[in-house]
Amino acid sequence: MDKLPDPVTYAVPAFILLLIVEMVISLRADKSRYDARDTLTSLLLGTGSQVAGALVGAAVVGLAVWLYQFRLFDIGIAFKQWWWAWILCFFLDDLAYYAFHRSAHRVRWFWASHVIHHSSQHYNLSTALRQTWTGFFSLGFIFRMPLFLIGFPPAMVFFCGGLNLIYQFWIHTEAIKKMPRWFEAVMNTPSHHRVHHGVNPRYLDANYAGVFIIWDRLFDSFVPEQNTDPVRYGIVKQLGSFNILWAAVHEWVGIAKDVWYAPWRHKLSYMWREPGWSHDGSRQTSAMIKERWAATRPSEEPAE
Amino acid sequence: MSQTDLIQLGASLAAVLFIAWLVRTIGLGADPRIQDAEHAIRLAEEAETGFRGIEVARDRAGFAAIVRNAEGRMMLVRAHGNHFAARPVDEKVVGRLDKDFLTLTMPERTFGAVTLQLGKDAGVWASRMRDLNCG
Repeated sequence: MDKLPDPVTYAVPAFILLLIVEMVISLRADKSRYDARDTLTSLLLGTGSQVAGALVGAAVVGLAVWLYQFRLFDIGIAFKQWWWAWILCFFLDDLAYYAFHRSAHRVRWFWASHVIHHSSQHYNLSTALRQTWTGFFSLGFIFRMPLFLIGFPPAMVFFCGGLNLIYQFWIHTEAIKKMPRWFEAVMNTPSHHRVHHGVNPRYLDANYAGVFIIWDRLFDSFVPEQNTDPVRYGIVKQLGSFNILWAAVHEWVGIAKDVWYAPWRHKLSYMWREPGWSHDGSRQTSAMIKERWAATRPSEEPAE
Repeated sequence: MSQTDLIQLGASLAAVLFIAWLVRTIGLGADPRIQDAEHAIRLAEEAETGFRGIEVARDRAGFAAIVRNAEGRMMLVRAHGNHFAARPVDEKVVGRLDKDFLTLTMPERTFGAVTLQLGKDAGVWASRMRDLNCG
């Protein structure tokens, strides 16, 4: 397999520098944007994710290389000759990310792995580093597999995936309100991604984009940020804890308990149905929350 | 894990500790308090869409509050970092009354126990909690 460097490794010094810049801005603008315990939790969760990635990375690469032998097309990796393939790969990888990310919010099995990223009630650059520990176990990597079957070299796909991850770092901030209109129309931005991290009923299950917000506009999951409804961050049932192990595994524990106690015919549903689903209707899914919210808000307020 | 992975891990841990130290040292953070009954009700309603609070027992220092709705359901709201977190108060929650103080121990260990200084109202709310267990 061709070898390319991991771009994320090279971006880490920039991540740290930007974090410090954002902290200085927060010091002047709003000190409550950061909390030492929350930041420590986020960064330790990021470190844990790095360890998990190092442990299972070889298996994912191995699977990619194995699938690549069944490819439909032969695509080279040299940028000079295959520049269009690089652009196409980045674009398709972002579409695969959209599919993964939407599933990660709509299927509890994938959500159990992804929830860690949403478990902070803050929204700052340290939140971006709150990454999954259990991505391999949840099989989240399968969404990228079609790219290898098409014929994009694994090294190219993983490099594009790294660039995608780097892009997503800077949008985790409240320091930037809006980007220029054309940029907001095409690209994922801090404003769009704030909505994605929101627990306000209006903002639930929206803006799954990685780099290009066009996927949300295309697949009807786009919701704009409203000045009249400031975003509240986190998860519907806030953790109320800075315990990093609990942040990493609490939803898996929830699934295990639910599957254990559920009647036989409902056991699988607690894994593949949407978060909040219950066989007796005793909990609320995001759709139910939105419905309840829509029923109680003043009728003159325009629907989005 | 390779030697490079271990070096990266060591560097990451050093950076993590430095940044967390910096956040604390430069004075970032807040001291969130529940200002009044209206604030407590808003927090409870935000925590559970459709919940409508009508009565509040607020801790004297504003660290926590219990909010009750018209059907008698209760919600505990407490400070968490710079924000707040809430949980329903149901029959699984253990309440302990000690003069003016009411301590609620949640079944979720990581959420922990919360002690509210409620003055003479503490007995009233402890009694409501007992009713949950009897009902």
